[in-house]
Amino acid sequence: MLVALAAIPILIAIAVRLSSSVPPGRGPAFLDRITQNGLFVGVTGVLVSIPLFLPLTVGVVAGDTVAGEAGLGTLRYLLVAPAGRVKLLLVKYAGAVVFCVVAPLVVALTGAAIGAALFPVGRVTLLSGDTIAPAEAVMRLILIAAYIAVSLLGLSAIGLFMSTLTDVPVGAMAATVVLSVVSQVLDALPQLEWLHPWLFSHYWLGFSELLRQPIGWDTFASNAWLQAGYVAVFGALAYSRFVTKDILS
Amino acid sequence: MNRRWLRWMPAVVVPAVIAAGIAAGSLPASAVDPLPAKSPAQVLALVAGHKVHALSGTLEQASNLGLPEVPQTGPSASAPTSWLELLSGPHTARVYKDGPAKMRIQILDKMAERDLVRNGRELWWYSSKDQSTVHVTLPNLVATPAGEEPPEDSVDPGFPDSSTVPTPAELTEKLLAKLDPSTDVSVGTDVQVAGRSAYNLVLTPRSQQTLVGSVSIAVDGENGLPLSFQVAARGQAEPAFALAYSSLTLGAPDPSLFDFTPPPGTAVKEVQPPPRPLGAHPGLDGHTGGSDVGRPQVTGSGWETVVGFRVGGDALAAEGLLTREPLLQQAMVAVPGGTVMSTSLLNVLLTDDGRIFVGAVPVEMLQAAATPR
Repeated sequence: MLVALAAIPILIAIAVRLSSSVPPGRGPAFLDRITQNGLFVGVTGVLVSIPLFLPLTVGVVAGDTVAGEAGLGTLRYLLVAPAGRVKLLLVKYAGAVVFCVVAPLVVALTGAAIGAALFPVGRVTLLSGDTIAPAEAVMRLILIAAYIAVSLLGLSAIGLFMSTLTDVPVGAMAATVVLSVVSQVLDALPQLEWLHPWLFSHYWLGFSELLRQPIGWDTFASNAWLQAGYVAVFGALAYSRFVTKDILS
Repeated sequence: MNRRWLRWMPAVVVPAVIAAGIAAGSLPASAVDPLPAKSPAQVLALVAGHKVHALSGTLEQASNLGLPEVPQTGPSASAPTSWLELLSGPHTARVYKDGPAKMRIQILDKMAERDLVRNGRELWWYSSKDQSTVHVTLPNLVATPAGEEPPEDSVDPGFPDSSTVPTPAELTEKLLAKLDPSTDVSVGTDVQVAGRSAYNLVLTPRSQQTLVGSVSIAVDGENGLPLSFQVAARGQAEPAFALAYSSLTLGAPDPSLFDFTPPPGTAVKEVQPPPRPLGAHPGLDGHTGGSDVGRPQVTGSGWETVVGFRVGGDALAAEGLLTREPLLQQAMVAVPGGTVMSTSLLNVLLTDDGRIFVGAVPVEMLQAAATPR
């Protein structure tokens, strides 16, 4: 799955390299900047993958945590060991968190690498019009990956809960991915404005704050609080469900 | 079985605790000390005498003018609508200011940003969407020569910097006396803006005819800085226009913020500033170009003022701008004698014989002003 994610920025870079110049203002933001500065491939890659590809892979990983073991019939053998259900749940969630951290990093850094290989690299122009050195730009890319990692924690907690509900891993995966799409659709409806700050996908595109000068940390903080809330609620639900569940497989 | 229910406790307790925490956080902080009572004149004097020249903050703007919302995406978000786009829909901007000659305003858009940077005589406009830069070199200002820092005790730019000028207190008394026949000025209950206690100066038109319900300005109780500006329209619960700080830090921001060099790869457009010194007020008399064409015809007074133009010259351009704008065409409604663009604060009447009438009054009053007597 990480390879599939890494393919996204590579595809973008090759497509832009082979095509003629992209007119500014068309396509996803930053796409027109790639020919000037290869490091923008990383940003564009993250931007393109955040609505679907990253939630999809996180949904697959998180949905598989418990239901996957149940589906394979190995869950009861895991619980025979004196580790306890809480510990198993924590370890499973930790695995999903590691994926949340690694996946956006892979997209951003692969993008930066392929961009550096195919396009010139120079001082990076931020949204504010200021320019920063390439080394600092890579720092910002890592910050963006960290922001996305935090953003995906809530979704992975939802996936963990879904995974405790069923013995069919595909069901848990699908439910998680569908929820992420539903959340984004709700976020796009202006009639539901009161609901928007509570949707776990609301700050997903907020990483643009990290491309301003000075960095707007407010979004980072509100995003972290929101995701912490989702992790707490769905973590508690997953705990309750898992420790009361009758393990039959 | 009992034990089983106990296990579900966390799933109930955690959301409850979070909900309680949010509810507690959103309650108004009632423990704030009330500000000492002040008369409207004293509050105005506080504003006029404020010495806050260095700050950084975030401004939130929301409008509810009744105009159709500009789509945030898609091909229709073209350049000519940008001035309209600033009027409709919500916006967030970061403001940095250090003295009167150093300022930076960042309008934060989705995945884009528009910047206005002023450093002394250099004025830059940068838009990240099309990577365009506009550069203006301002002429020497009369009040602050060569963009130098003014002395500590100088009043706000806009007031001539001279000892013959009356004190802010006298000035506000005069202003209030002038406003009194048309406007009721009062100080409402204190408000909280950006976490600061502020006086709420409310200007209510005495006229029942105008569309403007009230104008309220929040003034920082400590230093007199205006913190928010709100215009309420008659018959509309939400404010028609609101501009307020959502966060504010006093003190000089990072000086490197004001150093702007156009990024490589952008087209820099040099614009010559208008020859008129910036201190002069480009008021309505700017149209008196000798001929009758374009000279405004003013009827009514105070809040009921209606300004009429005969189309020609600038006004023709204005009408073209109004009628060509696809977004505005949606807002145009045909009425007897012309078409009307109606917002909750301002009505514009384009008569069939080529005149434009603008006023914060109902359409009937515009029509009355348009009918020759």
